[in-house]
Amino acid sequence: MKILERPLLKNKTSATGILLFIVLGVLPFAAAFIYALLYSFGLVGVISSGFTTEFWVSVIKTGSFFKSLGYSAAIAGIAVFLSVVIALWLTLKFKSALENKFILMMVYMPLAIPGLATAFFIIQLLAKGGFLSRISYASRLINESNEFPDLVNDNLALGIILAFLTMIIPFFMLLFLNVYKNERIEDLRILAYSLGATSRQVRNKVVLPILLKKTRVLIALYFIFLLGSYEVPLILGQESPQMISVLVIQELKQYDLDKIPEGYVVAVMYTIIVAIAAVFLFLPRKREQYV
Amino acid sequence: MTKLIQYLTLLFLALLSASCGSDTKRTTLDLENTDWETLVDSTSGKTVNFMMWQGSPVINEYINNYVVPTVKERYGINLQISGGQGPEIVQLVIGEKQAGIAQGQVDMVWINGETFFQLRKLDGLWGPFVDKLPNSKYINFEDPFISVDFQQPVNYMESPWSISQFALFTDTLHVANPPKNLEELERFVKENPGTFTISNDFTGMTLLKSFMAELGGSPKSLDGKFDQEKYDRLSAKLWDFINRNKKYFWKSGETFPKEQTKMKQLFASGELKIAYGYGEGGIEENVRSGLFPNTVKGYAWDNGTIKNSNYLGILQNAPQKAAAMQVINFLISPEAQLKKASPESMNANMVLDIDRLPEAYQKLYAKTKTRKYGPSMDDLKEHVIQEPAPEYMIKLYEDFRTAVIEK
Repeated sequence: MKILERPLLKNKTSATGILLFIVLGVLPFAAAFIYALLYSFGLVGVISSGFTTEFWVSVIKTGSFFKSLGYSAAIAGIAVFLSVVIALWLTLKFKSALENKFILMMVYMPLAIPGLATAFFIIQLLAKGGFLSRISYASRLINESNEFPDLVNDNLALGIILAFLTMIIPFFMLLFLNVYKNERIEDLRILAYSLGATSRQVRNKVVLPILLKKTRVLIALYFIFLLGSYEVPLILGQESPQMISVLVIQELKQYDLDKIPEGYVVAVMYTIIVAIAAVFLFLPRKREQYV
Repeated sequence: MTKLIQYLTLLFLALLSASCGSDTKRTTLDLENTDWETLVDSTSGKTVNFMMWQGSPVINEYINNYVVPTVKERYGINLQISGGQGPEIVQLVIGEKQAGIAQGQVDMVWINGETFFQLRKLDGLWGPFVDKLPNSKYINFEDPFISVDFQQPVNYMESPWSISQFALFTDTLHVANPPKNLEELERFVKENPGTFTISNDFTGMTLLKSFMAELGGSPKSLDGKFDQEKYDRLSAKLWDFINRNKKYFWKSGETFPKEQTKMKQLFASGELKIAYGYGEGGIEENVRSGLFPNTVKGYAWDNGTIKNSNYLGILQNAPQKAAAMQVINFLISPEAQLKKASPESMNANMVLDIDRLPEAYQKLYAKTKTRKYGPSMDDLKEHVIQEPAPEYMIKLYEDFRTAVIEK
């Protein structure tokens, strides 16, 4: 009897899990997406006047969505790339130091700081009237605050990228450290050396491939996460182009009520693109084990 | 499994229909047949939710430490404050209307003409109610700066709360002769690159309206109903002025501060040499709090700046309309307005007609300390522009983005 009951119980538990996931995760999202889709075609909304494609045409025609998407992708891509490179270097260089609990705790610390606070720190530190600018002025490196380089709300999104780096480098460092331990990379490294490999060969053929292969999905997910981030680009970004989430909110809150559906067009287009990217990311590698 | 799918489909449809729900019947208050005493008798113990802009410490101080305890003590009303201004209020009303919520989460709101225009469009305001408030007798509704909001008659649908004029300010220690017209501004930005900007918000757009009026040749050039041809002509001149000079603006005109608080920070840190705002510049509190040095002074623009009132409204689906009326009646009482006018408090101009006040309050008002740094509304009265129709603001917002920011 017991042998028969177990799979039944297991099936029941997994069915409840799936149901909960669908009810709490999929259903609200699907309802919101359909609502946004209907809104974007003027089918719902307080002042909607029936089906129209004018909002889609207008968004596609102005091109601000694509500009914004490209800008967001570039910032997220650069931030993720730099974070991974810096985190890899720090992890491999200071591996033994990072085993010290106090140092490890210091690495954890930035993870507890919300993005909003990080953005304000960056403003306080790097704005033309900020801490570094004042130090430069006091030490006569500059004659007036306007001579201090543009590091926030700037053209190159340096402030945003810096904020992202401070937020995600610690995360990747902890991730790489874990993978390093779990995959017993140290043992493999010693083995490779004993088989006559050079340091460069060990790094390029053993350590890096394992670390990157085991973490690539998380790296890609972080890219998607940064693509849609809001508070940091809102505070540190410029007015045009804007990162995609800032653009969506701006469109939704615009004063011309007749154009609010354009915000929903942007949100729907963005959702579709991210969903397609996620499908590409997960489907072909279904059988792989992720960290 | 089939059953599971059926249940899920049903749940999904229920969620969808709830989100697209139709309007439910609204509750109305029979004001015509209810006298004020009966009306306010029922307000004790009620909770009124007030959505307002909370970006100023002195306003928050006035509301939290004076208004909230006073209405609690006198009328037993629990006044709860939530943060939000124009777009948030409009979003809330849109959301609640779409969901068919008859008893909304907010009762009263602090708005300006643009939000008034949007809320009227959405049929989101309840009223008329202002003429029912006993203290409205102190308000001069003949004054066009009170009875007309962005060229729209107020019709007692919102109660004036404060009146103020837009003004510019500068640090006189660094700028002895600040620009007072567009020609001088052009010269100023060229001589002082990076020290002027336009905030991409209500305040910045208000400045642009003043500029547009100047380009139209007189303070009255934007008066009357919205005129598309006039807008096209004057806005083309305005964008031309900004685009040919923006390389001398803050950050070479490649970006603009999102809101006036950011602009004030830039002014405080010395990045900007000229800034502006409502409340005749609104510099008194900033100098007193130490954000600005005491050499900062406000000044008038030659062709004039916008003067308008801001208002308190009651939402169509407010659950506590009578209690909200009681609170608004208190906010426009001579006592509350006098407190608000003090430079140590909100330093806001009284929206009441001084001549209509009881003698005791007139004497108290005469004793109110005058401003030290900002100009008074009286100082600016020769340079006044009435708020143009709301369409000017809406179009300026959109075109400032496409014709300047994205160029």
